[in-house]
Amino acid sequence: MIFKVGDKFEEVFVLKKETYQGFIEVFKDKNPLHTNRQFAIDKGFKEMVMHGNILNGFLSYFIGEKLPTKDVIIHSQEIQFKNAVYLNDELVFYTEIIGIYDSVNAVEFKYNFKNKEAKIVAKGKFQIGLLE
Amino acid sequence: MERSEILMQINEIFIDTLDNDEIVIEETTQATDVDEWDSLSHIMLVVAIEKHFKIRFTSKEIQSWKNVGEMLNCIQEKGI
Repeated sequence: MIFKVGDKFEEVFVLKKETYQGFIEVFKDKNPLHTNRQFAIDKGFKEMVMHGNILNGFLSYFIGEKLPTKDVIIHSQEIQFKNAVYLNDELVFYTEIIGIYDSVNAVEFKYNFKNKEAKIVAKGKFQIGLLE
Repeated sequence: MERSEILMQINEIFIDTLDNDEIVIEETTQATDVDEWDSLSHIMLVVAIEKHFKIRFTSKEIQSWKNVGEMLNCIQEKGI
């Protein structure tokens, strides 16, 4: 097992315009909260709110590309959205291993995304399997 | 813990993990008896059982199980 409980990882993501536009193009979620500035402001936000599930894309990138092995598969993931994310926000992704299950080659992580004000915008857990 | 109590708790884990309220497992139950019990859900079940009872299995132990009863034996051997 190349991982151990307590291992920590960090990555910085910027929610860029092309990511936002690409998400809309692929998934067609044009809800006015995400596409109409005035609508979002009327609902109490300072700008259009970015799709929360873009963060799942960042999570996927981290798991697939940034862990110290490519032999991984996602078993499960959960996410709670705590604060809105806006275009061009810089998010610090922090994750830590909280469980190792050698018997089934599984590793459990907790994670969060924080914005520049150090507010948690999303948090959750995910579990990966290590492929043999 | 009584064996029947462990079985009852494992049943709850199966219900929760496999998202099927109607599952009733017995000592003789095998993976082939439960539609949702596939290779991925098997991993999730093992992890859930390890967490619930605060125990760890070895891969050798898991591979030796032929039914729920043998899983129960393994849990009891760990002092539960």
